[in-house]
Amino acid sequence: MSGNDWLSTIFNSSLPFVDRLSDVFDYQIQNNLIYREYCSVFGISQSSDIQPDSIPLLPIRAFQMRKIYAADKDPELIFKSSGTTGMQQSTHYVADAAMYRTAIANGFYEHFPQDDYSILCYMPGYTENPHSSLIWMASFLIQNDASGLSKFLENSDNLDKWIDEVINHGKKPVLFSAAFGLLDLIDEIKVLNGHRLEIIETGGMKTHRRELSKKDLRNMLSEGFGVDHRAIHSEYGMCELLSQMYAIGDEWFTAPHWLKVSIRNPKNPAEICKPGEEGKIGIIDLANVFSCPFFLTDDKGVMDDTGRFQVLGRWNSDNLRGCNFLIDRD
Amino acid sequence: MELEKHIENISSVLYKWFHSENTGLKRAIEKTVDEGFFSFPDIKHQILTLKQATKHNQLLKWAEKSGLRKDSLKDKNIVCLHAGNLPLVGFQDVLSVILTGGNYYGKISRKDPYLLPAFLDFYSQLESNCKIEWKLDLDQLNVTQADALLFAGSLESAAQVKSILKKSGAISDDTPSLMRTAHFSVAYITNNHPETMRDLTEAVFRYGGAGCRSVAIVVAPFHLNAEKCSFTDYVEEFWLHNPQHAKPDASLYHRFAFNKVMNIEQAWLDHYLIEEHLSKPAKKFILRWVKGDKGTLDQVTRTFGDGIQSVYSTEEYIGSYSGDLIIEPLSSAQTPPIWWKPDQIDTIRWLQVNAGF
Repeated sequence: MSGNDWLSTIFNSSLPFVDRLSDVFDYQIQNNLIYREYCSVFGISQSSDIQPDSIPLLPIRAFQMRKIYAADKDPELIFKSSGTTGMQQSTHYVADAAMYRTAIANGFYEHFPQDDYSILCYMPGYTENPHSSLIWMASFLIQNDASGLSKFLENSDNLDKWIDEVINHGKKPVLFSAAFGLLDLIDEIKVLNGHRLEIIETGGMKTHRRELSKKDLRNMLSEGFGVDHRAIHSEYGMCELLSQMYAIGDEWFTAPHWLKVSIRNPKNPAEICKPGEEGKIGIIDLANVFSCPFFLTDDKGVMDDTGRFQVLGRWNSDNLRGCNFLIDRD
Repeated sequence: MELEKHIENISSVLYKWFHSENTGLKRAIEKTVDEGFFSFPDIKHQILTLKQATKHNQLLKWAEKSGLRKDSLKDKNIVCLHAGNLPLVGFQDVLSVILTGGNYYGKISRKDPYLLPAFLDFYSQLESNCKIEWKLDLDQLNVTQADALLFAGSLESAAQVKSILKKSGAISDDTPSLMRTAHFSVAYITNNHPETMRDLTEAVFRYGGAGCRSVAIVVAPFHLNAEKCSFTDYVEEFWLHNPQHAKPDASLYHRFAFNKVMNIEQAWLDHYLIEEHLSKPAKKFILRWVKGDKGTLDQVTRTFGDGIQSVYSTEEYIGSYSGDLIIEPLSSAQTPPIWWKPDQIDTIRWLQVNAGF
């Protein structure tokens, strides 16, 4: 299959997910030596052996340790994680930039239609990483706005003025920013027209100040910008992932049709947690066909009966050894 | 003189309790084994270790080292929250309270529900100078405004526990709390002599690797691959006499699979994994092997800081430092003296300073 064939297969919602999954899995087994070996340890070697829920998920730290790549040409893009956790950086080699563009556009515009919204991006911290996938995504969304109103926020910018300008052009203003950047903005500038904004926060809950729950963060944003909770959205994405997920107006994320999320039992990652049970977030992102689409994150999540999920922070294994974790769990 | 008499009394009770004909202890051991909490060899090891460690002269030594004063905590209420990852893991805390003459209020772990209560019952029948109360449920502890809290756990669980205790009035914001958070130990070996390897095996695999004194990282002058076969022979020899009681969950096999594709050298022992890769020792049943020298050890000590309980080595390094930690004998990893300091803090000294008169 050529790059274009993959695009028309992966993003074709009329094809059943399992059929698209089967094609991607077979491609991976043939072209991704690391994933093939990983599956073979579990006795899996072909797509007839798998279902979405039983497919082995490669731990995401593999992107820190090896080159995870399944294409026979040089990568068009290389993304690196910020490495803020003190750990090694993840590197994501992207064979086909068109795949990333399509995943971003199809995911983002489903919730924030291109003709209706203009975006103000504020990504402090990320701008220091020349390989940031988030900056690339933001740049793509800005360039894609034909009105020219979308932009990165600069120090001299007047947020109220920008909001007015966007509204005067008959569009809706949305501020897309790292969570800690939004908190800085609240401290640094006074926004009078904040109530006319929509906000998309991303980048996890661990700010440079302290760890915040999503609920606290949303309350702070609502109070700080004067926006209704329903206008505060979240984006969940990462350097290792070409697609993104969005929580619109609340804390519950949904996945696009080419991506499947499951909550895995940390004690047995082959097992899916029941709705309401916390576990590690597992992801099948078909857009990752040329790297690895099947991986287990280190994020903690929980799913509801309808398949929506929440991101609850990092999965913390620190307490599983020694005397720890025993008092409250016995 | 009074203090010596006090220690002699306690030592005499301990002698009787550890005596092989103590039917109460026997019953507690049987129930613990029958109900699958711990294996008999692990219980036996702990009992023998504590029996040796609590002999009269050893208690005197601890009293001297800690500056113990008779009745320094008289009428003071001390709450002890015991973990249950090893048999009798809270024994040293109980002794600290008894030796200082404080009133003991213990929350016993449901994972070790017979052994410590057997001692507490035995002690309170023979000695009634102070109050001894214990419960299995935290919110059942019948104490108000305790003078100190002894606890082993994570920062997260500490917050939860403190909140429950505050709610019930057992402690307040001002109650001094000794919270131990170190959760693994490190060994540095410089040779592969049989004695060293046997000591290392015991230090790693005793109690299935549980407990903060168990070794989770070994720094050795050779790669795992060079030592794998002979080391696993020592492990099998150890398991022949001390079958591993607790078994890992399926995630260990997933880790093995991951290591395999990441080209990490490893040894799969069915119930344990040895991997030549340095990572934070968060998960159980994994020994991390690092090829290196004393400098490597010091780097490991710096990297994992407060998470490390003890650093062990062989003769030439005992007594020297790695970071802030004094290097202890590898051979005593699982047979510590009664005065060993969890998280480098002497419990008696801490109690006297923070809750004493």
